[in-house]
Amino acid sequence: MTEKRYRKLNSTKQLEKIMAKYYALSRYHRFWGKPTNRHLAWVTSGAPVELLRSFGIHPVYPENYGAICGSRKVSTQLCQVAENAGYSQDLCSYARSHIGSILRPDLAPMKGLPKPDLLITCSNICGTVLKWYEALARIFDVPLLIIDTPYLTSDMTNHAQDYVHKQLQDMVPTLEKITGRAYNQNKMKEAISSSKETISLWTDIRGLCKNTPSPLNAPDLFIHMAPIVVLRGTKQAVNYYKLLKAEVQQRVEQRQSAINGEKTRLVWDNIAIWYNLYPFFKMFSERNACFVADTYSGGWAMELEQGEPLESLARTYTEIFLNRSAEFRAQNMIDLMEEYNADGFVMHSNRSCKPYSLVQGIIRRKVMAKTGVPGLLIEADMADQRVFAEEPTRNRIQAFLETVEAI
Amino acid sequence: MQYYLGVDIGSLTTKVVLINKEENIIGWATKRSGYSGKDQALKLIDTLLNEKGIPRNKVIRTIATGYGRITFPADREMSEITCQAKGVYHLYNQARTIIDIGGQDSKVIKILPQGKVIDFAMNDKCAAGTGRFLEVMANALEVEIDNLGGLAGQAQGTCSISSFCTVFAESEVISHVAAGASKQDIVKGVCHSVAKRVASMTAGIGLEPELIFTGGVARNGGVAKALSNQLSTDIKIPDNPVITAALGAALIGITT
Amino acid sequence: MAEIMKNLTEYHDLTLLLEEAAYNGNKRQIRWPGYQFFGYFCSYWPEELLLAVGLEPLRILPPGTNSTPALLPTYCCSLARNSLHSAIKKDLDDLKGVGFAHTCDTMQCLESIWSTEYQQKVLSLVPPVHLKAPGAKDYYKEEMKSLLHHLSEITGKNPASVELDQALELTNHIRKLTKELDQLRAYLPSQLTADLLRAGQVMPREKYARVLGNALPILEELGEKQSTKPLILVSGAVLETNSLFEMIENLGGRVAADDTCTGYRHYAEPAEPQLLKDPLEFIIHRYMEMPPCPCRHLQLNERIDYLEGLADKRKVAGAVLVIRKFCEPHAWDSVPIAKRLKDKGIKTLVLELEGSAVGGQERTRLQAFLESLMGNS
Repeated sequence: MTEKRYRKLNSTKQLEKIMAKYYALSRYHRFWGKPTNRHLAWVTSGAPVELLRSFGIHPVYPENYGAICGSRKVSTQLCQVAENAGYSQDLCSYARSHIGSILRPDLAPMKGLPKPDLLITCSNICGTVLKWYEALARIFDVPLLIIDTPYLTSDMTNHAQDYVHKQLQDMVPTLEKITGRAYNQNKMKEAISSSKETISLWTDIRGLCKNTPSPLNAPDLFIHMAPIVVLRGTKQAVNYYKLLKAEVQQRVEQRQSAINGEKTRLVWDNIAIWYNLYPFFKMFSERNACFVADTYSGGWAMELEQGEPLESLARTYTEIFLNRSAEFRAQNMIDLMEEYNADGFVMHSNRSCKPYSLVQGIIRRKVMAKTGVPGLLIEADMADQRVFAEEPTRNRIQAFLETVEAI
Repeated sequence: MQYYLGVDIGSLTTKVVLINKEENIIGWATKRSGYSGKDQALKLIDTLLNEKGIPRNKVIRTIATGYGRITFPADREMSEITCQAKGVYHLYNQARTIIDIGGQDSKVIKILPQGKVIDFAMNDKCAAGTGRFLEVMANALEVEIDNLGGLAGQAQGTCSISSFCTVFAESEVISHVAAGASKQDIVKGVCHSVAKRVASMTAGIGLEPELIFTGGVARNGGVAKALSNQLSTDIKIPDNPVITAALGAALIGITT
Repeated sequence: MAEIMKNLTEYHDLTLLLEEAAYNGNKRQIRWPGYQFFGYFCSYWPEELLLAVGLEPLRILPPGTNSTPALLPTYCCSLARNSLHSAIKKDLDDLKGVGFAHTCDTMQCLESIWSTEYQQKVLSLVPPVHLKAPGAKDYYKEEMKSLLHHLSEITGKNPASVELDQALELTNHIRKLTKELDQLRAYLPSQLTADLLRAGQVMPREKYARVLGNALPILEELGEKQSTKPLILVSGAVLETNSLFEMIENLGGRVAADDTCTGYRHYAEPAEPQLLKDPLEFIIHRYMEMPPCPCRHLQLNERIDYLEGLADKRKVAGAVLVIRKFCEPHAWDSVPIAKRLKDKGIKTLVLELEGSAVGGQERTRLQAFLESLMGNS
């Protein structure tokens, strides 16, 4: 009998409950949406959802759905449906899975997502979301709202901030028209306040991993980040993270580690490999290596800027890490390595996510030069299993861990 | 008597077909292309004409198709898609969809009555879904390619092979062998994988009966069965599935 | 067609343009000494601003097929990889700088890598993606002003309205000439038109304007009086060579409409003529209203409507949508565009290319496509 190397979190049960409730609510929106005058929107993960919440809009996230398709190992099949409809195999696998689920709901988890009343896409995470949502707008013939957050080659300029601010200001009357509700400043402040608290709690939780041994491993971070994405701006998210934080805090106090016998501390970069979450990280944990930090789950933890609500949203959402230069992101990783006392890092070269992955070469070089620790690059895809090759990957991981352990 | 020659110079095999004005096949020949498909084709033509006792000057027109068509001294060259459509339609006048899997490529062709091509899809960039894939796997399993169909027929189950890439798929096969799976089950999985790749091309084009399967791989019963299952449709395979494009080329010679 | 090509060498101006197209700017230091070239990648990069400060725009069209520089993974387009490879080989060191107009995720990352790795001056312009967004125009203006300021630091020339006016006059004149050329293209060999349009992106602009102006009447004379070939619309991104155009021509087709970044779309003007007096306003208006590439959003179906209209106007029999391997924006657009054109009865071929060169595999597809247009099957 092999020793159990993965310590389960009790809070996970509660997480499963709230996520199940969220998806159930979403699925039955067609029954409760009209009577309560609450519209359902498909939203990109980087959109300033607080504004939408103030209008009572129920957000649903196709990217999160893509991750679910990946986790349930049905992404490949759905991608093929999209490919048969003419969508290139080189496009983002979240998008292909989602479009596949629309064309063949019979093959899709939960029979696909509930139909949207409107589409909201924010370009801060990538160029794909513009094209993906254009395709959706053609399929569903519902309003498409675009938030254009210009890419930041260095610090944000005033005119970029003004531009995003203007768009958000202009979105208010548009949303009023679509929802039939007046802009509610209080609801807006509430949503922002909830977001702020959620961010603070999630930051604390991640910060607890600075301890040795780390109370959490990468899979935990990937699973438990769901609320900060899909329930962002709600009290539910706040309550959940309070619960999780307490548990993680307790682990630290009792010196309970996520994995047995932590020897090597690593940092992860890029989105998770959803269809191979636990077995993949087991290749590390069985050699006493724990992922104490990552760049992905921290993506939603950037502090909401001060100021008037729309101004704050404009600033915060334009400055998210994926909208920044390689230099900025390299520094971010260097800081993580130092703060979390990491012995090495692993970068997932994710075929589906060009903005995240194409600069990994240069980031890796810089981080290795500055920190002196080794970094491993692994090619795979976040949701499409066809791209993942187990043996070659295992070889690389083994070689990498041998290198790290020898240092 | 007037004769027409169709020459299909593929990267693996060269085929020639000789027909008369009444569109009857007088003779045909195939051989590995080797280093020079053009030389091979010229030799085959010589041999064929000698065999049938037909003087060179009775061949009114020669049409070339296939990978090596550009440098072959023919009266005209046409794409193998157009030729395949023409040849298959001649044999099956109810044909509407053609799946052709050769040594290095696979195609799906949609045709109208009269054998007119209205749409097509090709994979010639990647070994997966072609005869090459089968070759690599047969090698890894140490079996003859010609036995693959038979082995697939004997399988009790199917070993799934999921990789995009032929090289990765090969390592999957080796893993299955190491795990103790039977050769038959693995071969069935291999055939299944080829069929799957090609079937998905079909979905993009739209499948309409009758469906005709041509190319060297059409002789592999394992792939034919897997295709038929995956597409939920009957498949017809010509007696000689390898010469249909050359036949089509020859037929085009009549109307050129 | 062979007749036209044979006679061309008699015409010095045409020969010059074809040479420039063949060199793709690679012999610039020998052929155009004394010019200060500034490189750029995307047709949204404002050549006018470069000209106004005394710089000569050079579209970077790297030679090479499928380079794999270490800093980029293989799953991005060969244009990005080949460009980076050129930079590593120091082929672009003579440039006064390199400009990135924000386009797609790949170019976004290339800019980041380039500015981190190379001493060379890298300037960025981030146009609005949503060109009809509230505040887009003001934002675009500030970006342009900021860029102009940085450009003037390179040459030490701070352009007043006068220089901008002059630059604008030159580019407008070039657009007028290329429009005339584009309208002749049904009567000229496809690869000839492609080369003549590409030459204007890799040689000094004033020279181009003069030489093309001289060449147009000759082309009008040399061109066929009637076109009997099936007319084709080609849409896509960057094509560094005329290979695709030549192949279509050799297979019996004629490219009568061109929506490629390095082809006519580089010069295309907004449908409505504009009356703005201020040069900067005029420039911004042109970039905001010109036929868009997939990376910009005007209205949901703006680009699709434009291509349908273009296909209609030029009476094309078929369309070839070119997608460079790993190019996401064009791959996304090809789905609704192919559908719209097919619904209109225009046969459409979606052709994936590794680079600009068209080989045996593409030939087979193009040939089968053209054969089906010409009714030979």
